[in-house]
Amino acid sequence: MSEATNATNATNTQNDAVKNGDMQKSDVVIDVKDLRKSFGGNEVLKGINCQVHAGEVISIIGPSGAGKSTFLRCLNGLDTPSSGSIVVLGDDIADPKTNIDKTREHIGMVFQHFNLFPNMTVAENITLAPTLIKKVPADKARARALELLRMVGLEEKADANPESLSGGQKQRVAIARSLAMDPQIMLFDEATSALDPEMVGDVLQVIRDLAKKGMTMLLVTHEMAFAREVSTRVIFTDAGVIEEEGTPEQVFGNPQSPRLRSFLSKVL
Amino acid sequence: MHIEKKIGAVVMRRASQWRMMVGMMLALLLCVAGLGSLGVSTANAAEDTAASTENVAAVKGKTFKVATDTTFAPFEFRDSSGQMVGIDMDMLRAIAKDQGFTVEIQSLGFNAALQALSSGQADGVIAGMSITDERKAVYDFSDPYFQSGVQMAIAKNNDEIKGYEDLKGKTVVAKTGAEGEAFAKKNAKKYGYTVKSVDQSATMYEMVKSGNAAAVVDDYPVLAYGIAQGNGLKTVTPKVPGASYGFAVNKGQNEDLMAAFNTGLAHLKETGEYDKILAKYLGEDSTSSAASNANASSTKKSFIDLAADSFPALMTGLKNTLLITAISFVIALVLGIVLGLMRVSPNPVLAWIARVYVAIFRGTPILVWAFFFYFGIPQLIGHSINIWVAGALTLSLNSGAYLVEIVRGAIESVNKGQMEGARSLGLNYGQAMRKVILPQAVKIGTPAIINQLVIMLKDSSLLLAIGFGELLYQAQQIYAANFRVTETLLMVGVIYFVAITLLTWLANIVDRRMNKR
Repeated sequence: MSEATNATNATNTQNDAVKNGDMQKSDVVIDVKDLRKSFGGNEVLKGINCQVHAGEVISIIGPSGAGKSTFLRCLNGLDTPSSGSIVVLGDDIADPKTNIDKTREHIGMVFQHFNLFPNMTVAENITLAPTLIKKVPADKARARALELLRMVGLEEKADANPESLSGGQKQRVAIARSLAMDPQIMLFDEATSALDPEMVGDVLQVIRDLAKKGMTMLLVTHEMAFAREVSTRVIFTDAGVIEEEGTPEQVFGNPQSPRLRSFLSKVL
Repeated sequence: MHIEKKIGAVVMRRASQWRMMVGMMLALLLCVAGLGSLGVSTANAAEDTAASTENVAAVKGKTFKVATDTTFAPFEFRDSSGQMVGIDMDMLRAIAKDQGFTVEIQSLGFNAALQALSSGQADGVIAGMSITDERKAVYDFSDPYFQSGVQMAIAKNNDEIKGYEDLKGKTVVAKTGAEGEAFAKKNAKKYGYTVKSVDQSATMYEMVKSGNAAAVVDDYPVLAYGIAQGNGLKTVTPKVPGASYGFAVNKGQNEDLMAAFNTGLAHLKETGEYDKILAKYLGEDSTSSAASNANASSTKKSFIDLAADSFPALMTGLKNTLLITAISFVIALVLGIVLGLMRVSPNPVLAWIARVYVAIFRGTPILVWAFFFYFGIPQLIGHSINIWVAGALTLSLNSGAYLVEIVRGAIESVNKGQMEGARSLGLNYGQAMRKVILPQAVKIGTPAIINQLVIMLKDSSLLLAIGFGELLYQAQQIYAANFRVTETLLMVGVIYFVAITLLTWLANIVDRRMNKR
């Protein structure tokens, strides 16, 4: 049953792409083929196939342990695939010969626990990569950092110590830090899971704004309402495979597989 | 003679243990450094045989390294100015002057002096050393220059012990490997006492005074001198005549030096200078030396005077302690950081090298390495090693191993997300380490590093075993001559405490400044 459903959904997606007209084959920024990943003897990803087109906003949902985060971390090489290929912006990052650092400059990543550097100020966190890697002059990098901080509503925190910020503020700084490298793709790994409920809104607003600007994004999230609102496509993973995917309307409005239905009944 | 055979056996056993240890350390070293097959040559043999057939004049103008004990008053000890003095020292210098050569005296301790001789670090040994048949198999001895013997002593206030018969069930201390030990052991069964062996005369006397032992058996001249210095002991039994002392060189080597020594000794005896030297330390008549010297120095120096006398030597010791610690710490820190980074490196070969280094130096005692670097390495490379080099190598390689683990622990305790955060921005491994991980690791690791510095400063006292002139070594030199063990150690303890407190205070200021705590 599920195989048939997948096939149907895949066709639907392709039809959408053709209909929308902005998702041609040439726009593919991420192409994942038969991605498998094992930790010890435990196979977490059991053959993932997925294409991401420029401008797509993809939410990845599914129960805990489904391999959502592992999949996302494979896309910028934080986890190394056991087999399969991952072509990101034309480079196969599953190939050890690929310079992963170069590819990462074009992929921003936002973590559940922010990972701000406590040995630097907020502004220094943001200017570190541009000045070190792109050799942007310090004053220009600083101006850009302030601009990004203004965008996330934290301009006055430029010279603060990251430790002094609230969770929501930290996450907005982390997003600004990633954006400073002008990435073509943004990955969000449960960006709001560690936040108090009243902080979630501010962070989601920043992501929403990015979506409006046409940023290609993949979000691992538990915020179903947000996923429905902001996504162009929703991927439901379970037990290491993509169980079902489609537009938010399809996935949330007309779920096909029993496992997706069971999952949605628990989280909605 | 029976006694002599036993002494010889002890020395020989020690020598063979030493050779075995050198062998093991060599194997280890080859493993670690991958030095391959380093030719173990006896390079020192070649230098010495060349001049062997020439006459005594061959020594003129030459400098010879002569190793000696640290603490064998009245034969060798340091006076309050830190100068090595004593019967051996005065006599050796007089002979050298008479024969026109110069001597460089290395005060190492008895066993270490013999090892220095065997390893070619020294040309000869003069250390109140008994001439025995077993030793004659390994060394060439000069004409005897002193007729020794052993004697028993007990605490001054002890009225119970009148002779050997009263020692039943008691403990008797003697010096490891010395004639006194052989005598004490030979008679232990007969009189029903147990023998405990220690390394230094001053320690033995303290044990008797403190009641940890009932009696001490020691070389008669040493004991007589100690009693004369007011060490709190007295004799109740007569002297047991024993071996003669001789100057030793390696068998078949340094024949010119030996010939010059014998000629000079005979000359000194003719001119009466020999008697003058003996009288200076043992009194006009050596048999009544105890009485005459006891009167001369019966007024015990006050603690203040003792402190004032000891101050220059102790300060020299402190200076050496601080200097070797500072040098070794810098080297250890470099080792610790470089190998610590290797230890956490994703490259398995680098990580393995660091792991092996840590395993070896953390798994072996400092003393083993001190002996190895100072006595073992010269036998491998064929020439001697400066004691500062050997000392700094010992301390830095040992501490380096602990610093590797401190650095590793500090790096690993930085949250894993920090590395991922940095790498996901496009920083490579080195950039992420340098800009993000290490600044945080330094902050985490600094208190442990300061702790290691303090441990290192205290560990530097172990270098006294190879004769490095650090603080505790200076103290030993002082109490070996004046027998004021407790007071001298008290001073040393206070100096260490003050130095370490100041150092810690200073290090904490640096820590606060650097890490913005």
